[in-house]
Amino acid sequence: MEIKIMKNILDRNQNRANEVRELLAQKKVLMVNIISSPGAGKTTLLEHTCEALGARFRIGVIEGDITTDRDAQRLKKYNIPIVVINTEGGCHLDSHSISKVLGSFDLGNLDVLFVENVGNLICPSQFDLGETFKLAVVSTAEGDDKPGKYPMLFREARAVLLNKIDLIPYTNFSFENFSQDLKRINANVPLFQISCTKGDGMNGWYEWIGGQIEKR
Amino acid sequence: MHELRIAEDLSAIVVEAAKREKLSMVTKVNISFGALVQIVPDIFEFAFRETVRDSVAANAELDLEIIPVKMRCIRCRREFLISENNFACDQCNSTELDIINGKELFIKSIEGE
Repeated sequence: MEIKIMKNILDRNQNRANEVRELLAQKKVLMVNIISSPGAGKTTLLEHTCEALGARFRIGVIEGDITTDRDAQRLKKYNIPIVVINTEGGCHLDSHSISKVLGSFDLGNLDVLFVENVGNLICPSQFDLGETFKLAVVSTAEGDDKPGKYPMLFREARAVLLNKIDLIPYTNFSFENFSQDLKRINANVPLFQISCTKGDGMNGWYEWIGGQIEKR
Repeated sequence: MHELRIAEDLSAIVVEAAKREKLSMVTKVNISFGALVQIVPDIFEFAFRETVRDSVAANAELDLEIIPVKMRCIRCRREFLISENNFACDQCNSTELDIINGKELFIKSIEGE
């Protein structure tokens, strides 16, 4: 006997993500789901972004980490609301964990919520958190082949940050290969070439994300 | 590693449906995954086995269909399959596309008695 089911396997995650998205839209909070490999510079990006935009916007952060609160400790000095989600081995955040911690934020007093996902290019792209959009961060030291290898993330990202461009002379990273690959997958996605530690290109990023927060 | 989480959600759906339909044994689970989701079939099969252990679906065969990535061109309305990650219309070369298939994580049916 065959029983038809015809259902999205991640239904539960999707339903909760839809609820989160609706709540954030009501409260006029932009949620950015930041996805990258470990060590691409997500936390450093957040440090500089809090520094540059903290006076202009009310920023909150959800730190997803397998274990430890080290990333959150680094952001403490900006005096912003931060909640840590330790996944205890889990390779991605899901909408249930986000929904649970949203109550810890005063959403009426927030313009933007940055979610630093667990460092991983595959799994987090599969789980909708209810974010406004995904942001892909990739660093030159990882190689220029990442868009081609992880098309789902680069296809879905609203913007791509290429970090550590100051290291290009010390690597075999080819910007031409990288941008050609990216163009084939997502021709119209804004690409920002930055160095979080040296400051290159950061103003372009601040301007773009500021615009996204304003038009939320 | 997201295979494990997806397998957990799948086996919960399977066990619940089997209970609802009063099946004593699930013999087959028919699922389809889009090519974009990058599920490794062997790892998924392994994860599924672990999550259905000791359940009515412990011996169920997993039938996994991979759905190719299909897009619709917003400009010329053509529907086409994506090959080699080239997300541009193969007729008019536009990059303004809507996705039709490729992101599925879908359970179609279960079989049992």
